Amino acid sequence: MADMVTLTIDGHEVSVPKGTTILEAAKTVGTEVPHYCYHPGMSSPAMCRLCLVEVEGAPKPMPGCVTTVMEGQVVNTQSEQAKSNRQGVLEFYLVNHPLDCPICDMSGECNLQDYVHAEGREQGRGREPKRVFGRDDFGGDVLFYGDRCVMCTRCVRFMSEVEQDHRLTVVERGNRSVIDTFFEEGLDGTDWHGNIVDICPVGALVSKDFLHKARAWDLTHTPSICTSCSQGCNIDLHTRDNLVQRIKPRENLDVNGWWICDHGRHNYEWMNRGNRIEAPLARDGASSRALGWKDALRGLLDRADSLDAGSVKAVASPQSSNEDLAALKTLVDALGGGDIVYRSARAEDEIPLKGFPGLARRQDLAANTTGANLMGMARVGADDATGGLDGVADYDGIVIVLGDGLDDQPESFGQKAGLYVYLGTHESAATTAADYVLPVGTHAESEGTFTNRDGRVQRFQPALESPGMARPAWLILGALAGERSGGSVARSAGDAFAALAGSTPAFSGISYDDVGSRGAVINESVSLTGD
Amino acid sequence: MSDIPFKNPGWAGNTGEFDLTEEQVRGDDFVGDRPKHGGHASGAGTLPYMLADKHPEAALFEGEYQERFEKILTRYPTKQAALLPALGLAQEIRGHVSPESMDRVAELLDLSPAYVRGVTTFYTMYNKRPVGDHLVQVCTNISCNLAGADEVVDAFLRYTDTELGETSEDGKFTVIEAECLAACGFPTCVQINSRYFENVTPDQVPQICEHLKSQGGE
Amino acid sequence: MAYPYVSDHEVQIVSKHFGDPKQRRVDTYVERGGYQALKKAFDMGPEQVIDVVKSSGLRGRGGAGFPTGVKWSFMPKESGKPHYLLCNADESEPGTFKDRELIRWDPHQLIEGCLIGAYAIGAQHVYIYCRGEFFEVNQILARAVEDAYAKGYIGKDIMGSGNDLELTVHQGAGAYICGEETGLMNSLEGRRGQPRVKPPFPAAVGAFGMPSTINNVETLCAVTHIVDNGGEWYRQYGTEKSPGTKLFCVSGHVNKPGNYELPLGFPLTQLIEEVCGGMRDGNALKAVIPGGSSVPIINAEEVSRCNLDYEGCVEVGTMLGCASVIVMDETTDVVKAVRRMVDFYAHESCGQCTPCREGSAWTAKILRRIEDGRGTEEDLDTLMQMTQQMVGTTICVLSDSVAAPVQSSIEKFRDEYLALSRRGERVGAA
Repeated sequence: MADMVTLTIDGHEVSVPKGTTILEAAKTVGTEVPHYCYHPGMSSPAMCRLCLVEVEGAPKPMPGCVTTVMEGQVVNTQSEQAKSNRQGVLEFYLVNHPLDCPICDMSGECNLQDYVHAEGREQGRGREPKRVFGRDDFGGDVLFYGDRCVMCTRCVRFMSEVEQDHRLTVVERGNRSVIDTFFEEGLDGTDWHGNIVDICPVGALVSKDFLHKARAWDLTHTPSICTSCSQGCNIDLHTRDNLVQRIKPRENLDVNGWWICDHGRHNYEWMNRGNRIEAPLARDGASSRALGWKDALRGLLDRADSLDAGSVKAVASPQSSNEDLAALKTLVDALGGGDIVYRSARAEDEIPLKGFPGLARRQDLAANTTGANLMGMARVGADDATGGLDGVADYDGIVIVLGDGLDDQPESFGQKAGLYVYLGTHESAATTAADYVLPVGTHAESEGTFTNRDGRVQRFQPALESPGMARPAWLILGALAGERSGGSVARSAGDAFAALAGSTPAFSGISYDDVGSRGAVINESVSLTGD
Repeated sequence: MSDIPFKNPGWAGNTGEFDLTEEQVRGDDFVGDRPKHGGHASGAGTLPYMLADKHPEAALFEGEYQERFEKILTRYPTKQAALLPALGLAQEIRGHVSPESMDRVAELLDLSPAYVRGVTTFYTMYNKRPVGDHLVQVCTNISCNLAGADEVVDAFLRYTDTELGETSEDGKFTVIEAECLAACGFPTCVQINSRYFENVTPDQVPQICEHLKSQGGE
Repeated sequence: MAYPYVSDHEVQIVSKHFGDPKQRRVDTYVERGGYQALKKAFDMGPEQVIDVVKSSGLRGRGGAGFPTGVKWSFMPKESGKPHYLLCNADESEPGTFKDRELIRWDPHQLIEGCLIGAYAIGAQHVYIYCRGEFFEVNQILARAVEDAYAKGYIGKDIMGSGNDLELTVHQGAGAYICGEETGLMNSLEGRRGQPRVKPPFPAAVGAFGMPSTINNVETLCAVTHIVDNGGEWYRQYGTEKSPGTKLFCVSGHVNKPGNYELPLGFPLTQLIEEVCGGMRDGNALKAVIPGGSSVPIINAEEVSRCNLDYEGCVEVGTMLGCASVIVMDETTDVVKAVRRMVDFYAHESCGQCTPCREGSAWTAKILRRIEDGRGTEEDLDTLMQMTQQMVGTTICVLSDSVAAPVQSSIEKFRDEYLALSRRGERVGAA
């Protein structure tokens, strides 16, 4: 148990571990001391001078981000002196900061706007021409508007301390100083540089992908999990008009800190893909009929009953949620048991973020491989997620495919099957022979959980509305299983997860409440495979 | 200003009660020519790096320069600390610190090129682009200002037919303003390449420039 | 003898051999009693050396005036880490030119002081950080160091004492801010010369992360003589709180500018009139900056009451700083002078802290506009209030140095600013 120090901040008594800074201590009583250069994931240079607070007995105002707490200290962040310091520093920023708000992407989520609105001067006093740097393309996804820069150097420190590829630097000194790269070298070849756009407190560093796309106040933020690899970085999906506009990382010190890699960050456009299957389809030879759900499911089960009992061969996707996979497994068991396989892509190398141990873009490029493995599903096929389905393609029994696009499979896939059910978002050549094509939602349209490589179960929320009649896969599969076996049918994702926790030892004892917004690690006695 | 006549224009040797030669004041007899390999390691990093003789295409750190660079490395606990002397050495050879020089120095010291660029541009004396053979740096700070430094700058600009910071057509002169050169008792002080000229007045400017052109300066 | 002029009022301790080229040679230096202080230091032991310096009351001569002996005693005793002594020869304060003279006439005095200081604080390596523009000075110093190594005054087993000390001369590259102690350390380490946040203080985390002490050239030169002659001997000069002598760098509108070594507490008026031969052309005195451009300007009335020691300057509302006396006569355009000084700070600001980076450039722009005759009285209020926002809010005191000339000149020479604003009239010669 660390030594605790008691001090007073704005009249509130606070007890924090020895070595905590005043700024962090203030957070514990809900006081956010305005700051720019400080970031908990990097070193603190104490140079923006915005976080100066009044400490009784100190001759000068102290920077809250580096001053450690002392027993009995009395700190005031709202005194006349502290406020006038902040007002002074904000005025200094505005002397050269251009009035770009109408054309700046940061507007609406900009610290400078917020701080000045709260505590700045009402009237500016600067009458001199502002210094001009212009726009610079830093390479990768980053554009730099030098005029807007407040020289907090968070970007420089991120590249040198966290990514540990020192690509950015401050050039010149004094008021002529500006951020730049080594001439044409830019940021190309780095894999985490998108984070500097997140940490830039103003609109100096902007994403080319997001440039002039949407206004911050129009966006809805929904917590989700990145599906680009098995790390399971916590993210927010920012949506408008039922389209994902961008991805931002969500803070989780146990998984991804404050960061996300560039691959995950830009892998969202597929969630906006249109031309979806919008109704359950029943196929009879060359013709398809759209049905209502009840008719489709009844027809499907009747067909299954009419066949000789044999094992089921199923293909799942490692991008499906725990709930979807669990429901699939339950259905396969209810239909007489069988094998479930999945294909997943693997990269050649890991791309670690050296300055945050435990975080990397993993070789396993799917979100829920661990979940699939824990439920007894087997990986087949090559590292580019093709092949491995020879046993299934020509099977004459029941074939169920969930989520796998089958883009590499021929038109003859499943032609010989007694019953071939496809649950997915888009058709392909290999779904031509499907007897039933059932539309499901993507994870962005559903509630559910993934299990990452460390066995952490993490929740995601629906950010988009499913098109047409598409429904969550766990609901459809659960309904089918319930009909067949006579058991209860999960009506919510939470119930679906509870059913999984009840049936699979690895997940036993965990509920959605336990998972919360930070995740919960599965029972340790169960070993993990894959990465 | 006292108006004791000078033996040579633009230096303070025989002001006051002294009658010393220029060489005595500057210690030329004491120091002499410094060897390219740097001499004793303790002073290997301190040779003049603003010279009239510039070779922008020369290789960096070969032969005796390589010897000097290695001596410099032995004086510091980290490689990074040799950065300023290394950049000075690069400028001594090539006349200015170009992106290629920054890249090469970065490679030799296990630093990133962007980092070296950040350090180079922080300091005034590293030329980021080529300058004339003689870089004329006129102090215009407070003490020299009180003695009329602005007129000295104008005189240099007129004589060399340049604007501030521009190189003359014949490539011989670049004139810039400098901050306090720590010769405030002998205003106006002008540093031309590695050498100080003190007590400079506007009418001495043509003489000084001719002297440089003919002798080549250092 | 001080170079280039000598005055009878001088007490020449560190400036005794100015103007004598022979003093640079190690043989001459030793003949005249050199390196005896170093021997005495080795015989005394490090603790004793610190006590002697403490008893002398020597205060840092680089501008801060912090008692040197006390500073040395901050070094940890049993840290087990390498200690460093840094000599600050990055003389860039406008108006100051004493360190240049000290090094180019008497380099061995400095070397000996460095070695004594290093021994006292348990350092094995001394770095003399000498400003980049001082090419000639660096050559002289490097040659003197080489000679000292050759004769066994630096290196292994110095003079058979069993003590090892190394010394390296490190050249700067043109940045005033590298004269700030932590800026110097960063520059020495091969970084941008930006000052560091304190705490931690250099005695705990200094150069290369190791305990370090930094001292000015003049301070270390004085140390040599103090260790040679004793602390009490030094106290016979100067005042009780500011003992000893100081090199005063006088520049500006006097007849005999130059360095003069005088006991602290010397009256400023006497310095100008007797030592420096009075105002040039017999002009009237308008203003003086007694301690380099970073201290407030004082007007003629305050000059008449000013004694040149640390306390005396504070009494008239300014500071002694590094004792660079810049004398301005009635022909001076104060607005132009202040504008040039603020231009200097704006050029030299490292750019870390917002108040300094933005404030210094903004102040310079306003002053230029006033100088062009397009200023208003409101601008003066803005300047006074805005520069106050730059005081005490930054990592180092360059920001405070912008405020000093601006605020003091507006307070004392307001009519000059107003004349420019109202009628575009300049007071004094352009």
